Order: sequence, then C-alpha cells, then structure tokens
Amino acid sequence: MNGTVVKNKEICAGHFLLSVKLPESFKTPMPGQFVMTRETGRIDPLLGRPFGVYHFEKSENEATVKILYKVVGKGTLLLSRLREGDFVEVLGPYGRAFDVYPEAGRVVFICGGIGVAPITYLASHYRRLTGARNVKLVCYYGANKAENLVGIEKIKDICSEVFISTDDGSAGFHGLITARFSEDISSYDPGSSKIYACGPRSMLKQLSELLAENSVSCQILMEERMACGVGACLGCTVLLNDVEGIGAHARACTDGPVFNIRDIRWG
Amino acid sequence: MENVRPEMQVDIGGLIIKNPVMTASGTFGYGKEYAPYLDIRRLGAIITKGISLEPRAGNKPPRIMETPCGMLNAIGLENPGVHAFIKEKLPFLREFDVPVIANVFGETIDDFKKVTELLSETKEVEGLEINISCPNVKKGGIIFGSDPDMAYAVTKEVKRLTDLPVIIKLTPNVTDICLIAESVEGGGADAISLINTLTGMSVDIEQRIPHLANVTGGLSGPAIKPIALRMVWQVVKRVKIPVIGIGGIANAGDALEFLIVGARAVQVGTANFINPCATMDIIDGIEKYLKRHNMADVNDLIGTFDEEGKTC
Repeated sequence: MNGTVVKNKEICAGHFLLSVKLPESFKTPMPGQFVMTRETGRIDPLLGRPFGVYHFEKSENEATVKILYKVVGKGTLLLSRLREGDFVEVLGPYGRAFDVYPEAGRVVFICGGIGVAPITYLASHYRRLTGARNVKLVCYYGANKAENLVGIEKIKDICSEVFISTDDGSAGFHGLITARFSEDISSYDPGSSKIYACGPRSMLKQLSELLAENSVSCQILMEERMACGVGACLGCTVLLNDVEGIGAHARACTDGPVFNIRDIRWG
Repeated sequence: MENVRPEMQVDIGGLIIKNPVMTASGTFGYGKEYAPYLDIRRLGAIITKGISLEPRAGNKPPRIMETPCGMLNAIGLENPGVHAFIKEKLPFLREFDVPVIANVFGETIDDFKKVTELLSETKEVEGLEINISCPNVKKGGIIFGSDPDMAYAVTKEVKRLTDLPVIIKLTPNVTDICLIAESVEGGGADAISLINTLTGMSVDIEQRIPHLANVTGGLSGPAIKPIALRMVWQVVKRVKIPVIGIGGIANAGDALEFLIVGARAVQVGTANFINPCATMDIIDGIEKYLKRHNMADVNDLIGTFDEEGKTC
C-alpha cells in the first residue's frame, strides 16, 4: 500500500525511527510479522526491505506503522534519507506471527541490537494481554555500546525487569547478552516460562546451545535476504534440523519469520 | 473509442488467452501465494514454477542477491515434483478461471517426456512451457538450450507426446539465440518464450566469498530488459511462430516495447516482487495506450516497430 513518511528520526548514530501513515484498511500486524518497505518509484535498490513491526496503531481514517531500523547497507541508507511527505510502499503484514501464551507465568525477551524492535511490539502485546494478571515480563537487551541501546526506555516501561549488556562494558553487564542470560537460565521453569529472541544469527546460535539441555519454549525471528516476501520465489531459505531434502528448506517469509529455536540447523 | 474496450485476446500458439500478460515461471509460485494480493482471474495466464519428475530440494542458501536494478537468483529449481504438483498444487489453480501453463524441466530427455505425459494426462493444464536452460546430465551437463540439435530433440520428443500447445523457453546464455529459435521451430514448437535469466555473480568483498552459495546465479529485473528486448526483436524476425517476451518488464511501457517489436505476449517476473499488482497495472496500461492510439485490437499493435524510423 502507498504510505507517506510522517517522520524519520535519527535516534543515535545509524539508528532511525521511521513513522509511516497508511490507509486505514492496512491490516493490523500480529507480533512477529513484518512489512516489506521501499521508496515509491525506485528501481534501484530494486527490492523492498523486510522490517519487523515496532509499533502500529489505527484511527478512524488512517493507520500508522513505525519501524526502528539500523543502516546496514544500500537500502537502509536510502531509507534513512527519506523526509516527511515522501512516499513509501509498505507491503504486508507478512509472515507467521509469534505464538502467544496469555497463561504463561513468566515471559522472557532476549534482544540483540536492533532485534529490540520486533520484540518491543511483542512485549507491548503481552502487556496488553496480561496487564490485569501482572505476569512477569523480563527483558535481556544487549548492544555493542550504551548509546546503541535504542528503544530502551520503551522496553523499561513495558517489562518489570530489564537486564542490559554491552560489548564494551559502557552500560550493564560487560559481554554478550547470552552470557548474561546464561547466569539466570536455571531460574526459568520450562513449565511456565516462555522465551522469545531476536538478534544477530550468532546470538541465536549461542542461545540454541544454551538451551540444548533445557526444554523451555523458545521462539525466534529469523532474518534472511528476501525478494517476494510472500513465499513464491523460494529465495529466503532457512535450513531446518532433523530433516533432509526438500523438507529441510523453509521459507523465512511464510513458514517464518517466527521459528522454534530447536528447529533451525545452525551449521 | 471512448466506451469500447480494445480487444486484448492473443493467440500464443494454439492457446488463445484473454490478454497478453502472463506471470513468469519461478516468480509467482503456484498462484496461491499471490492470490490474496491481486485478482489473478484477470491474468492472461499463469506459468507455474518449474516442475521436474522427482522432487528437488534446490540449492543451499544464500539463494538471492540484489544487484543494480536487478537481482541474482540461484534457487536451484526447488519443487515438489510432478506427482505432488498434480495432487497438491493444481487443484487450487483450477479454482480460478485462468489458464495454467505448466513449466517443465528435466535432466534428461526422458525426464522431459515423462513429465509431459503425466501433465497432459491430467487434462487440467492449458499448455506446457519447456525450460531448456538446464544441463543435460547424460551429455556432460551441456545446457539443452545451448545446442541447436539438443533443443530440436527435446522439442520433437515433447511434441510427440502431447496435444497441448508447447512453448519452448530459451536461455540467452548462448552465442546466437536465433539459431536455437529456428531449431525449436523446426522441432515443432507452437511458440517460443525468451529470455530466461542471464548468468551472473556477485562477490562479498569483506569476506571474499560469493554472495550466492551456488557462486553463479540468474540475473533478472529491469537491468536485463535491453538484452531481452533485443533478443526478442531478433528472434521475431527469424521465426514464424508466436514469440513471448520476458525480461525486466516492470510496467506497461516496458510491455508495450516488447509487443511493438513483435512479441505476441509478455511474461512479468521479478516485478511481481516489487509490486504484487504489477500485472494488473500492465494490463490496464496496455488498454489505455491502445485507446489513446485509437487501436481497437492489441494485435494491430504487435510487430509495428519501424526499424528505420527516426525520432525527429
């Protein structure tokens, strides 16, 4: 659908919050779903970029989607130059959403870097679902340095406990967020805890190793290069565990982006 | 001409389709993936993802890489095989009143023959598009479509086994595509479609590894349009059978270029990824153009290219 840029603000070096106004008919994304975004009329870069939804709201006449993103290449660099009033195409929402458990005792979110964006949308959803019951929402959030902990205020607002780590020690635990999480892992009871994670592939791989001896449920978001976003082109292949041949190939855009951490072949 | 809609029907080799706009193999899945986003009944035809005799897992990821105004793909022809296609994918497609042309490929001539027979027996596809851009494993991996004799042989063997219109899809990765076009016409092809993707590659300079696990892949998108258009123009002049144009078509203007140089119809591929409604916009745009030029029938436009014409 055609959207208009409302705001495209640099939060800290290389990290932006893009706000796009869309028609009211745009379907409300479920947590975990993504949108394909591209500047209207451009053929270079050709492909839309997939972003997890950070925030979404609807009023009588319009909808607003917010994307929290980091500049990592050509597409995001050009996106960062969009100004209020520019036109963007937003396709979606696409993809399989997170399974959500309103009856969970404790919900744990683990974010690495810009992975905080879709996790925040999920955490807000949980807060709305479980607000009355006061379920414990816990967040582990790691970044390479303190100023890159974008969106930390919003996460602190939603979750009752937030643990931070930075690679350079400028804030919180000095080291990787998986190392910080591993200190607490035994306190999470598989019977009542649910884990959700989003971040660099290396972080997710480490997390899968940490959870290998543990049966606690863990859903993750897998990111792959995408072209169509709807499951037609078979470009965004994710390799699955314990299966061979054609069954081992899943589509990040349609079979995911949400996957059970144990289903992924990390290689 | 105001209230009369131009006639958009074209004959693509014994199959008459309601308009000259089709979706290209490999870019539209089996119809179901895109059905929520556009009215697929408006399409001239849908060409399925390539179908092989046995299921194929395809290549390891990464399978795609963006390039300037285009993209490389090395999907590896992943598909569930002809039996699963007939059982699981065809029924959905049949729910829509849109012609289904099954794209077929094989590693040996025997594969092509078996798949042709099985699909023809279903009586549920309206045509076959034969992908000869794959290697002949029995002849050391030479691409079927790169050798005029092999291209002729595949065409002849497939035609023997089916009454369905047979479209041969050509690879541009050859020295002279017109030779191949003439060969397949000689073999009995009802139509020719071109071009398939151009072989290319991309390198990750930081890690000094290929961006695609397969190293090379097929280039598609707006970047290849000039090459595709040139090849279509050349082939149209050499064969009598209908030619279907493929390659970088993103909007109605692009489609019109191909029709003007003589393509009977076009296929839209990569553009679907950018704009799921690209085909709808193209159909509307062709109609508008015809009205604007007071043409009552799209066939009045096809092949009206004036090679010698000057721009001013």
